[in-house]
Amino acid sequence: MLTRRLFLVCAALLAVSSWAVRPAAAQSADPGATAFIQKLGNETVATFSNKSLSRDQAVQRFRSLLYQGFDVPYIGRWVLGRYWNSATQQQHDEYQKLFEQLIVTTYADRFVEYSGETFRITGSRPEGESDTMVTTQIVRPNGPPVNVDWRVRKRDGTYKIIDVVVEGVSMGVTQRQEFASVISQNGGQVQGLIQALRQKVGQRG
Amino acid sequence: MKLANLSRSLLRSAAAAALALTVAGCASTPGANNGEVAVSDPLEIPNRFVFAVNETADILLIRPVTEVYVGVVPDPVRQAVHNFIQNLMGPLYIANNLLQGNFEGAQIATGRFMTNTILGIGGLADVAAEVGLQEKPADFGQTLGVWGLGSGPYLVLPLLGPSNVRDAVGYGVDTVADPFRIWGNATDNTDLLWGRTGAAGVDRRSQVLREIDDLRRNSIDFYATVRSLYAQQRATAIGGGATPATPEFPDFDAPVKP
Repeated sequence: MLTRRLFLVCAALLAVSSWAVRPAAAQSADPGATAFIQKLGNETVATFSNKSLSRDQAVQRFRSLLYQGFDVPYIGRWVLGRYWNSATQQQHDEYQKLFEQLIVTTYADRFVEYSGETFRITGSRPEGESDTMVTTQIVRPNGPPVNVDWRVRKRDGTYKIIDVVVEGVSMGVTQRQEFASVISQNGGQVQGLIQALRQKVGQRG
Repeated sequence: MKLANLSRSLLRSAAAAALALTVAGCASTPGANNGEVAVSDPLEIPNRFVFAVNETADILLIRPVTEVYVGVVPDPVRQAVHNFIQNLMGPLYIANNLLQGNFEGAQIATGRFMTNTILGIGGLADVAAEVGLQEKPADFGQTLGVWGLGSGPYLVLPLLGPSNVRDAVGYGVDTVADPFRIWGNATDNTDLLWGRTGAAGVDRRSQVLREIDDLRRNSIDFYATVRSLYAQQRATAIGGGATPATPEFPDFDAPVKP
């Protein structure tokens, strides 16, 4: 009696669980994304190893590599988060312009002072619905290697990076939380952020 | 006499820790910081005040001292100092790895401690890293996180900087349990303890000299930047290196579902 009941219960549970547990989507990492990162990385190293460039030229090269590799408008919008919808078109435009300038002034210097770092691709995995996370390791001449993950999205046949994760810390998330703090310190007004960006970008020029 | 004092103070600290843990447990924010939710910071006003004080102390004193240290002391010597100080943390790393059930981590930490202490001349040389045993710090705040305790509200501690209720308690426990500190107090070598604290502070500051300059210069709200970085770092450390919950990256151009 008991064993038959037990058998029925087990059979029922098994039936339910196999229905409930759908097999994970057979999504594999896109090898094109890995190739894209490899190419972009090689170009970057080649560009900044060339020490004969003037600083202005180097910044220009950085800007073109930035647009080549990153979906800057997407990142700008993502970083603004929920405040995007409460901003006017004019604010959108000015914000995007300032955001791009902020990225260039923040990161260009680090690349211009490039001193022999190399990178190697350590793997890739699918992320989200259709993105690929390409994992790399930046090997530095002085200091331990740094793990950097690149979130790559394919749109209209081209690949673009939409987030960078350094040792588990997302640059997108950090920027978003910082901007959200500035906006809330300014009473929830996006204009407050825009003014702060104007000042910051104007200072660094 | 000293032992009685020690056990009394340990007991007091343990009681304080238990109380703080209960408070932290009640105030815990579920789940890792996945970027969708802002870091819980109900104490933002006092935190910003302490942050400003820390910044002033750093700009006026700690950073200049560190710059002199970096400028005057040759790199191999600074590296030896770093290795020595880090090696003293060995027992705590081993203990925390064990408490987290991370036996591989505990093995590595033990290997590092033994190798560096013996072959590395008392910890001056990081011989273990050269044979592939990389340093991986483990603190009690991380242990509490692995055990499932939420971080509690964000805290900025005087001099120590960014933290949260759980990690502050963890830091307290690590400090009390630190064998070097216990030895120092037992053998009346408290000046060595202070020396270690000072050297550790300058050493840690010297590791991130350029990075902090960079962040300071490029942040509009440096307080918020540090808060975000700290929360994400802790989430990663507790997640054990596996990627913490990633935020959503919606397709803005996709047609809106009716």
